[in-house]
Amino acid sequence: MDPPEVEFLAEKELVKIIPNFSLDKIYLIGGDLGPFNPGLPVEVPVWLALNLKQRQKCRIVPPEWMDTDKLEEIREQERKLDTFTPIPSPYYMELTKLLLNHCADNIPKADEIRTLVKDIWDTRVAKLRLSADSFISRQEAHAQLDNLTLMEINTTRSFLLDSLNYMYKLRSNLQPGRSQDY
Amino acid sequence: MPCERKPMRYGHSEGHTDVCFDDEGKCIVTCGSDGDVRIWESLDDDDPKSINVGEKVYSVALKNGKLVTAVSNNTVQIHTFPEGDPDGILTRFTTNANHVTFNSSGSRVAAGSSDFIVKIVEVVDSSQQKTLRGHDAPVLSVALDPSDEFLASSSCDGSVSVWSIESQTQVAQWEILQKSSDVSNAKALCRLAWQPRSGKLLAVPVDLTVQLYDRKTWAHVSTLSDDLITQVVNVVVWSPCGKFLAAGTVGGNLLIWDVEAKLCIERQKHEKGFTVCGMAWHPSGGRIAYTDTEGCLGLLEGVSPSSPSSSSTIQSTKATAAKEKNDYDDLFDEDDDRMLDEGMSDTRSPVKKPILEDDDDDDDLMPATGRPRNRGSFLDDDDNSQDPGSVKLDGVPEEDGSSAILPVVGPAVSRPVYEGPMPTQPQRAFQPGSTPVHLMHRFMMWNSVGIVRGYNDDQDNAIDVEFHDTAIHHAMHLTNTLGHTMADLSQEAVMLACEGTDELASKIQCLHFSCWDTHKDWIVDLPKGEDVRALCLGQSWAAVATSALMVRLFSIGGVQKEIFSLPGAVVCMAGHGEQLLIVYHRGTGFDGGQALGLQLLQLGSKRRQVIHGEPLPLSQKSYLAWMGFTAEGTPCCIDSEGVVRLLNRTLGNTWTPVCNTRDSCKSKSDHYWVVGVHENPQQLRCIPCKGSRFPPTLPRPAVAVLPFNLPYCQTTTEKGQMEEQYWRSMLFHNHYGFLSSSGYEIDSEGQAQAEKEQQELLMKMFALSCKLEREFRCVELAEMMTHSVVTLAIRYASRSRRMALAQRLSELALEKANQFQEEELEEEEPAYQRGSRQMSSRQAQVENGCEEEEEEEEEDYPQEEQMDGEEATETRKPRPGLNPFKKRGKSPERPSPKPMSREGRVNPFKVSGAGKSSSPAGQPRTTNVLDSMTMSSRKPTPLGSTSKQSKAPVLKPLAPKPKSKTQATLLQMSVSKGNSKKLEDSQTEAEKVKPAPVATPPASVENIENRKPKTGFQLWLEENRKSILADNPDFEEVDVIKEGMGRFRTLSAEERLSWTERAKGESDPKKRKREDEEGKVNDQMESDEGSAKKKKPLDTSAKLSAFAFNKE
Repeated sequence: MDPPEVEFLAEKELVKIIPNFSLDKIYLIGGDLGPFNPGLPVEVPVWLALNLKQRQKCRIVPPEWMDTDKLEEIREQERKLDTFTPIPSPYYMELTKLLLNHCADNIPKADEIRTLVKDIWDTRVAKLRLSADSFISRQEAHAQLDNLTLMEINTTRSFLLDSLNYMYKLRSNLQPGRSQDY
Repeated sequence: MPCERKPMRYGHSEGHTDVCFDDEGKCIVTCGSDGDVRIWESLDDDDPKSINVGEKVYSVALKNGKLVTAVSNNTVQIHTFPEGDPDGILTRFTTNANHVTFNSSGSRVAAGSSDFIVKIVEVVDSSQQKTLRGHDAPVLSVALDPSDEFLASSSCDGSVSVWSIESQTQVAQWEILQKSSDVSNAKALCRLAWQPRSGKLLAVPVDLTVQLYDRKTWAHVSTLSDDLITQVVNVVVWSPCGKFLAAGTVGGNLLIWDVEAKLCIERQKHEKGFTVCGMAWHPSGGRIAYTDTEGCLGLLEGVSPSSPSSSSTIQSTKATAAKEKNDYDDLFDEDDDRMLDEGMSDTRSPVKKPILEDDDDDDDLMPATGRPRNRGSFLDDDDNSQDPGSVKLDGVPEEDGSSAILPVVGPAVSRPVYEGPMPTQPQRAFQPGSTPVHLMHRFMMWNSVGIVRGYNDDQDNAIDVEFHDTAIHHAMHLTNTLGHTMADLSQEAVMLACEGTDELASKIQCLHFSCWDTHKDWIVDLPKGEDVRALCLGQSWAAVATSALMVRLFSIGGVQKEIFSLPGAVVCMAGHGEQLLIVYHRGTGFDGGQALGLQLLQLGSKRRQVIHGEPLPLSQKSYLAWMGFTAEGTPCCIDSEGVVRLLNRTLGNTWTPVCNTRDSCKSKSDHYWVVGVHENPQQLRCIPCKGSRFPPTLPRPAVAVLPFNLPYCQTTTEKGQMEEQYWRSMLFHNHYGFLSSSGYEIDSEGQAQAEKEQQELLMKMFALSCKLEREFRCVELAEMMTHSVVTLAIRYASRSRRMALAQRLSELALEKANQFQEEELEEEEPAYQRGSRQMSSRQAQVENGCEEEEEEEEEDYPQEEQMDGEEATETRKPRPGLNPFKKRGKSPERPSPKPMSREGRVNPFKVSGAGKSSSPAGQPRTTNVLDSMTMSSRKPTPLGSTSKQSKAPVLKPLAPKPKSKTQATLLQMSVSKGNSKKLEDSQTEAEKVKPAPVATPPASVENIENRKPKTGFQLWLEENRKSILADNPDFEEVDVIKEGMGRFRTLSAEERLSWTERAKGESDPKKRKREDEEGKVNDQMESDEGSAKKKKPLDTSAKLSAFAFNKE
């Protein structure tokens, strides 16, 4: 899976917007949306929120977790623990990126949030690499990693799998006898 | 000692807090772990001034306009007070300071830090520092001796030390505390306190007690304790007079001792039992402010230390006299300051009193009583002069007023002259949906159309107008050169107004953006001396209420229209469509209440006053917070207690409480700021405000939606819930009536839905009462139902074998039907076509249930065609219950073609039926088949009956009507029950019984009576009609039937029987004849024998119909 695909999935997440237009319920395959009342918050998927935002049709209410205090807490937690901490949204990275890129004006302390999320992301990916490293170096057969988000898995999947394949190849070559079979 | 504990309010975010008073005691100053120092005018101050001094503030001290804070960046900072400008850093530590305190003159600051060091710094010159080293753990608290000789400190190492400031050496040390490693682990904050003025005693909180040490010998003098204390004492403070000592504990207890007598004179408990971590005594001694570790601020009022036993006062006379000498300078200073205040005599209350008493008791008593008396009368005068005129509204707003005046007057008036109810300050005029005028950034209006924000700071004096729906207009930014303070916003215009100044008259400015010419705005000056107090916009009109107790109406384009006077000073106005709502002061409120009056005017084409100045109900001791219309146009008001009330137009314009926003608040100081009310869907749109009554403009507040909840009893039970739901639904759908009566288009579908919902609720309640064996209640409920639902109820009752109930209900149904019919008759013109009448009755029958009709058909068809018409009217008469359904016919959901086709079947000669030449042929036959089937099959299940209607192609006309079907089913049910019973035995017998229906099963009484007797009676009536008409030539059809009924009843049983026989004899052969004509199924149908065969088709059709029914 590519990052854009993951992002695509993330666009299904619901987010609150405050529309500045009025529209009845709209009926879509994925479910009903609306009704839209000007000034009254309503939950819509991110893709619609961004679309409306780009057309200046709404203001986006940032998700609850997108708040410096909460993110700081998570960052501390993340740094303290060796394991992965539960993250408030399975698409935190994607949502942060989408929302901050398109509607930073509706999100208080957008820059701080960007830094914090980046910090969390870095910490987590570092942990992931570290665990991958120890996994490989100890030649473990399996490992359990909880609380990983889709995006994180995706960043490491292709690399990890490929490298494991190569390692396997190399290791099997190391073993005398078998290596010269072909 | 009477002491009032005020409710806690939100002050800071959770964490350690500290509190102190300013020198005059005008403000409470708090600090918290959110890094802010807040300056509160009073406990009710909704808008405290916040100064951000750092990330976290550990301690705050204030003296001589210097605000000293211990901040988490390891510094002790100074800010100016009350401006809050940074004034430099006093000193630094290697870690944060835990406690800062001033000496009594304010020249020095002592600070104790977590790096084990205590520093004493000159405020003027921070380079002059004295460092005290000797503690082996973080310093918890420091206290400077009033004579600047010693400093006491407590530390986590378990010791309390006294230092000589001059020599920087320890003078005394007591190892009395529990050791701990850090402040966060310490059992208590151990705030020390020297006795003010003399500094004779040092109070040290030790475990559950407060220990007092003597200054001369450093010996332990006494211990203050109380049984109430179950947890460690955290803070101690002396009263400014030095006679009392207050302590706050970790368990949230607040105690005050008379130190001389070692008597605990006051015990209070924190309302939630949180740890008290900051306490401060008001400089005048009447109040104690305290804060807890959850960031809340509380106040003890009326802690007047004037009530100790007289003996102790006398005993201490000497000592205090001496004290006074010592501290004369201090005292003088303070008094000097106070002299400048206008309220000098007020603030000179409890603290001073004891001191004065010491000097000369007699002397003091006189002025003490004299002053308040004067003041009281002065106040009264004030009020008197204000109220009748009520022109002067610019007094302090009510909430400020109460807190500003009461505490001051309260303690001072030792013997009040007047003990009756006190008049309340009338609340000031306001714009609903605006935040207070004094704010620099405020909402001037937030309503369903948009938001008007006002900015009035150094850089800018501007107004921003923003629309929720950008389709109305784009956002506007206006420079506010005129200094507008009031605004209203509608779909057409923005209206602004400012009060007049000495030079400039009060102005109204209107930006009429929907105007189609090029001049989009107009300005009107009010006459000199007249100020705008409130304004509102309606549909193409504007209204302005002025200080001259007048309301001026304008057209939206600026044409002046009517003006009229108000009986009192305006509070607020609201407009919606053609309605104008004005709230004004009806009189003086007492004891915190407001006396408001209300006028509701209908402008536009039919101008009238709907509500003529009736009192507006508010909660006790509250004032009006919001007033306006729901989106649907029903007046709605909200008071400061958060109770939302809606005008109930159907109950003589009374006000019904529909919601209490405070119920949804998490904490006591939270409020909801309402921005709009919608009846459909039921929404209360408001903005949650943490710790205040109104939201700040930034960050942009988000609207939340609250549901309505009528305060009905026992809403935890199912019954209560349904009652609440029912009445809420009734109330919130009143607007349909209003709208339609005022000629607006209404959403009839929504209305029908609402009606349905209400009836459903009634039926549910009915079922519930039935279950609970509350039959009387059932009948009461049935009285509220529409007729159609009553039939449902009858069915329910009979099914659950409550025959008595069913009988009562059927009587009720009859009554209802009669009622309806009377109305109906009044409506119907005498010249009303018979045919159309027939049609309507037919329609009714259709809806009521087909079996009836079908049975009827048996009788109908045999008769001649003219008779058919008559018959139909006859049917109507004895069966008035059916008619109400006609009403339903008005419902838009009703498919119109159906009754037509049905009718076509029933009355083949009708013009309307002509088009469907084919259907009349087919239909009657089938129905007949089914008819006889039900009669004979004794399978009167609802399934069977529905089957008839919805079955297959032939009967199509009925199928598409889900509504009537249910009803039909119901009625059918009861009907067929009766039928089957009778038919079982013999029809004749049954018929015989019918005219005197006593013996019949209750459920069916009505129906049977309605239906069956027709045959006999009909024939009789045919014969006797002429004679009746001859007797009463002016009779109408219905009257004829009535009369006929009466006469028929008088006949003897035999006669009647014979008629019935005749009717039966007549009908049977004819029926067959007709069937022959149509002749398809008639072979099977000839008589009852056929029934067995007929059962079969019925079953299949039943299945089919059930399927169709379910599908719907």
